[in-house]
Amino acid sequence: MDKDPTILLIDDEPQILRALKTILAANHFKVALAATGEQGIAMAVAQPPDLIILDLTLPDMDGIAVAEAVREWSRVPIIVLSVRDNEKDKVAALDKGADDYLTKPFGIEELLARIRVALRHSEQAIGNKQSIIKAGPVTVDLARHVATMRGEEIRLTATEFKLLAYLTAHADRVLTHQAILTQVWGFEDFDHVEYLRVYVGQLRKKLEQNPDDPQLILTEPGVGYRFKAGE
Amino acid sequence: MGEVGGGEATTGFEPVIRVLQTLALPLGHVAWNAWILAYKDSLVKESPPQESPPLSPQLPRSGLESTHPAIMHILTNLTQNKIIALLLRFLAAILTIAAITLVLQAFKPEWTNQVIVLIYLLPVMLSTVLWGLVPGILAAFLAFLAFNYYYLVPLNTFQVHATQDLILLTIFLIVAVVLAQLIGQARQGERLARSREWEATRMYELISALAPLQDISAVAQALADRTREAFDCTQVEVTTLEKKGDPSITARAPESDSVNLAPTARIRIETAREKEGELRLWLAEGNLSAEEQRLLAAFASQGALSIERIRLARGEKRSRLLEESDKLKSSLLNSVSHELRTPLAAIKASVSSLRSQTVDWNAPERSELLATIEEETDHLNLLVGNLLDMSRIESGALKPHRTWNALSEIVWGVAGKMRTQLQDHQLMINLPGDLPLVPTDYVMIEQVFINLLSNSIKYAAPGTRIEISAGTELDFMHVRLANQSPPVPEDHLALIFEKFHRITAADRVTGTGLGLSICKGMIEAHGGKIWAANEPGRFVFHFTLPLTLDGALPDSPREIDNG
Repeated sequence: MDKDPTILLIDDEPQILRALKTILAANHFKVALAATGEQGIAMAVAQPPDLIILDLTLPDMDGIAVAEAVREWSRVPIIVLSVRDNEKDKVAALDKGADDYLTKPFGIEELLARIRVALRHSEQAIGNKQSIIKAGPVTVDLARHVATMRGEEIRLTATEFKLLAYLTAHADRVLTHQAILTQVWGFEDFDHVEYLRVYVGQLRKKLEQNPDDPQLILTEPGVGYRFKAGE
Repeated sequence: MGEVGGGEATTGFEPVIRVLQTLALPLGHVAWNAWILAYKDSLVKESPPQESPPLSPQLPRSGLESTHPAIMHILTNLTQNKIIALLLRFLAAILTIAAITLVLQAFKPEWTNQVIVLIYLLPVMLSTVLWGLVPGILAAFLAFLAFNYYYLVPLNTFQVHATQDLILLTIFLIVAVVLAQLIGQARQGERLARSREWEATRMYELISALAPLQDISAVAQALADRTREAFDCTQVEVTTLEKKGDPSITARAPESDSVNLAPTARIRIETAREKEGELRLWLAEGNLSAEEQRLLAAFASQGALSIERIRLARGEKRSRLLEESDKLKSSLLNSVSHELRTPLAAIKASVSSLRSQTVDWNAPERSELLATIEEETDHLNLLVGNLLDMSRIESGALKPHRTWNALSEIVWGVAGKMRTQLQDHQLMINLPGDLPLVPTDYVMIEQVFINLLSNSIKYAAPGTRIEISAGTELDFMHVRLANQSPPVPEDHLALIFEKFHRITAADRVTGTGLGLSICKGMIEAHGGKIWAANEPGRFVFHFTLPLTLDGALPDSPREIDNG
């Protein structure tokens, strides 16, 4: 990334485009605007951006389809914008390759934080896989099969370890129930959300100061979980 | 007529019987079949003619057995032709008079003419009873002629000499004709009454079959079934027209594929206002009589009325719903325009102040104005969410996406989200550690807690305690949210979950008045119940949630192998 990263903003609402363009430009991003899905895809092909912000409701096509189309040839991070009560669409977009989502209306700080996380992850993805994951106060050593919290070892079962490793490896990103279940348990268990509830509860007991009011493993209502590392 | 037996049968019994045999057998069969025809005509089909012929059982059959099928065959063919049937009945009447005349001529009883006259009245009566009014009158005339011919001086002529005889003859004719007419009328009346009764019974059956039906396809089927029973036909088809979103329906009795032949009868199913469809029926043979056509028309119009009734009832329900939703919309508009304007006014005021060139705001002032804008924006967002939820509940589009959730996760999540709003109250969360997972739509139950907490914050004095607790009861999770707001009058306890219901004056408390009714809609969409109760020193919202998802409990989690 030589200088200011480029963000492609695909949204059909001029007010949003106008506000975000101003705000993002002020935060040292270059902004490209697209009002339709078609146009967005074309622009992503012509001048590959560093990140895409994609509204799920577009006039010409489904936002999920746009994410899917972009994913066919690019690993550019995609943050989708959606409204409340549309968890199904959020989950679908995430499962089709979107990296994160924000519910409208959102605070700009939150958007900027998500953008920074997504950009950092896309840089990391280029680099090689680490055997030691550091996420906030937690360190997971995949080779030695040891997890530590502020230097102290946490005793975990095999399932808990695998779950924590997956969550921390994707720290600060939203992970859908289905994604976690398939990664940790396997495809045949993808709809057993109850496993997750139980194991996330156990992990919180071992990691969180107040397991009822978690600060590390956050619930994304109706969507999944997010391991909060720093930002 | 007279010449048939005029010169014969002067002595003994045998000739009489011979004559009777030769005459009565065909007469019996003719009469019997005429009787059947008459009966068929009378429409009384529920009591079909009995196997044994009512007129001629005592008559010998020998010698004529071979002709019997032939006669039957001819008669069956004749059923097509009513004129011939009528002629048969005339013939029967003629033969009856002839028979009596023959008998009398054979015995030559030494009776006075007055007795003979009375005897002649018998066949007249019989003819009328058996074959109807017109054959009866014909019999009366024939009896008149026969009596005149054989018994009045000068004999064997149609002349009358004695005044006394003339009077006798005239009176006989009058009596015979009047008698025939009276009997005939009575019989016709009875026949008519029976056919009316039969029609009335069929109508009654149809009406009682149609009365409880609530949808058009059931009406069409019932109409087809009843028509088939009433008209003794091979096939009935009822087709309703496509109208106001109702598809066109075809009901058949008996159920079968469509018939290619042209129907025997077709009749429109229509009300005074519009056509609703068509009824078609196929008879094995023949055509419908006038009475049957009349009854069929009555059937069709009864069907049309039932369809119209269903449409009207539906229309009424729709208009009631519309009216209700209209009422909802107008009170919503009132409430919403006020509710939306308040935060908008605060935002507008803050933003325009900040943009103003005339005032130089210091940092704390700026921060205060900006905080107002952000809070009011959140408030607006909440209002819009409420409206959206309400419209979803109203339209029945609220479908919870239930997955296994830990109640504590939802409750603590809400507590975190509402930290600012809750800062003036003490929130206590008392959830047992072993609380089972409960199948819920996370976002909806989150909304329920947000609304109940917002309500508690509004009505309970600052500094008081709000407590959330839960436990399991049989198949349900029972959640309680208690606050220390003043008690609600008992007769308002159920009403607070209705839309726009407020127990205090609207100006004291803000909000759309939708929060609790949204809770009710969401809990009920989960298959649970929600209610409120005054308890000593506190006010408690209760709600229940089923613990099973599609009748099942959660699978116990699978521990994966080390690796």
